[in-house]
Amino acid sequence: MFLNSVILVLQEMIEAALLISVLLVFTHLFQRSWDKSFVLRTSWVALSIAVGVLGAALYSYYTPQISEMFDYVGQEILNASLHLLSLLLVCLLAFIVPSAQLAKNTMGRARFAAFCMTGIVMFSIVREGSEIIQYVGGIAGQEENFTPVVLGGFIGAGIGVSTGVLLFYGLINLSANWSFRISLALLCLIAGNMGSQAVLLLTQADWLPFTPIAWDSSSALPENSIVGHLMYALVGYEATPSILQVSIYLLGIVLIVISPLFRKAWPQQQSLVGKA
Amino acid sequence: MRSIRLFLISSILATLILFNFVAALQGYQSSMREADTLFDNQMLDLARLVSNLDVSSASSKDLRLGNNLSFQIWNESRLIAASHNAPVEPLQSFVPGFEYANFDGYRWRTFTRYEVPLDRWVIVAERTDLRFVLAENVVLQSILPLLLGIPIVGLLIWIIVSHGLRPLQQLSSALRNKGANDLSPILSADSRIELDQVIESINGFIQRLDRVMEREKRFSADAAHELRTPMSALKVQLHNLSEEIDTKHESFHQLQEGVDRMQHLIEQLLSLYRATPEQFAKNCETIDLYGITQDQLASLYPSFEEKEQSIELIGDSIEIEADKFALETLISNLLGNANKYTQRGGNIVVSVEDLGSEVCLRVEDNGPGIADAEKSRVFDRFYRVDSNDGAARAPGCGLGLTIVSHVADLHQARVEVKDSSFASGSAFCIYFKKKS
Repeated sequence: MFLNSVILVLQEMIEAALLISVLLVFTHLFQRSWDKSFVLRTSWVALSIAVGVLGAALYSYYTPQISEMFDYVGQEILNASLHLLSLLLVCLLAFIVPSAQLAKNTMGRARFAAFCMTGIVMFSIVREGSEIIQYVGGIAGQEENFTPVVLGGFIGAGIGVSTGVLLFYGLINLSANWSFRISLALLCLIAGNMGSQAVLLLTQADWLPFTPIAWDSSSALPENSIVGHLMYALVGYEATPSILQVSIYLLGIVLIVISPLFRKAWPQQQSLVGKA
Repeated sequence: MRSIRLFLISSILATLILFNFVAALQGYQSSMREADTLFDNQMLDLARLVSNLDVSSASSKDLRLGNNLSFQIWNESRLIAASHNAPVEPLQSFVPGFEYANFDGYRWRTFTRYEVPLDRWVIVAERTDLRFVLAENVVLQSILPLLLGIPIVGLLIWIIVSHGLRPLQQLSSALRNKGANDLSPILSADSRIELDQVIESINGFIQRLDRVMEREKRFSADAAHELRTPMSALKVQLHNLSEEIDTKHESFHQLQEGVDRMQHLIEQLLSLYRATPEQFAKNCETIDLYGITQDQLASLYPSFEEKEQSIELIGDSIEIEADKFALETLISNLLGNANKYTQRGGNIVVSVEDLGSEVCLRVEDNGPGIADAEKSRVFDRFYRVDSNDGAARAPGCGLGLTIVSHVADLHQARVEVKDSSFASGSAFCIYFKKKS
């Protein structure tokens, strides 16, 4: 129970921590060129976490009703929708960030970027948080499992949050160029992962056709191993992904790569973030 | 803006948590493996014990071991003894060693042993779920203190980091508390190697600043003195000229206005110079704010009379600690400003009000007023508010309110620009600390 609890909570927490860290790094890199208001710098994180936790609690409370929707695939559809909405907001952000940076009058765009980031983190917390609440709430209710599940949950959450904190400080203490490059690479993987997960869920719900698997790496790195779970959280690793999943994963990466964030911000960000 | 304290506390705590928790996971896994071996050894002992059981006695045929354990003794495919919870079929195939089996609705760890002298097969079994829970509970007891210690470790890190940053805070507050005209070097009694270099650089900077200020002070004093003398001579020459030529000529008026403006500018520059913190030597004394305002009003009254403006002074005697000369400069500038920027026939109200811990000197008029966007700029040097009623033509150089602001700062007083209580116009409020 303990180890299962650690793995589940760690997997969900590290996914959310990675996302929040990368978005905070972007906020940090561009805050000087956006604006100095408190709204942009920190309050979006607090707001998204608060609303996300509330949303996760509501989601787990209404899970039985949600599951029965759409011919008993409501949960898959809702999770896929949350993934797709997050992907849409990540793409919007990738297009908004450089515009905000290049234009002089940036307040409106900066607010829009903060709105996008709030949405991305909020949806992520609703998704991951509801799974944690359902698992911990369901198992910790049994007296003999309470200690291992809660202890495992804390250990998993501790490792996840610590990784996020160290990643954030590690990235912002790099040179602005490297910080930007690595964050962008991580954003690409996050976007790809979101798309891939949405496809997997829609396929499970029979809303998308099954496509042949692209490869089978289950013998080299099984999905249910600890490393497999961590790789899933970090890069959305699947041992047997379908061709459609791989295509959408790559599409997510391509969307970020073709965005102005990748093209326009690259040569100019030195002068802007150099001041940060 | 990034906080060093937050960075240190968060990153140290995160590193500690990460490494401790990963180590705890590693410890958990190896402890569970050890516990598994321990339970297996117990089963070996149990099998040895059971194999020597006297199966002839009736009691031993239905031995109660507890719900987590079970055994069977077989002799040539015949069950000769078993625990109460054992099935009648063999628990495991007759192959010596450890294995797993499912019966009674649970998964069991089994050990099979062949006892050669007695020609018996002994199979002992232990419920995996119960031995796992037992092992986990023991292992988790060692992890629990690690988790409970995190808040204490966090608190300790916070205290240590705060203590470590104290010299930096002390340096910061020493710099913040330095008076505007205090250019003495910073002395650090409790110095640190890392901060010595910073303090040395700051002291070097202060020294250079002191030298530059001294040079500027000498230059300003000399320039003011040099300018004042020829200006007085120019005024005398102009007066003499007015008696010799036709003074109705437009050029003469313009010349006279130009000289007046220049004289005003020199006087204001001198006032500003005297009101700067570096030059100002505050000679504080107890002054009746109402009385000094009344005196200034009396001396400037002809200007108000000339523009047919009505001026009213409201209030009572209230004492404050101030420098008399500086305070006179402040009041005359405020009154002069009201006189200049209020239209002919306008109203001006001056009040001295006791607000408890503060005393408010308020000068308000029904002039054109100041737009909100300009209110913050009126104290800038040489800034003049645009006026449509010709007030801008009045002698002025945009230094009056800068002087007011400087003098207020020197007395730790607040200056506020508000809308007047008239239908139009502005109100300047200076809040002085009341004499304790």
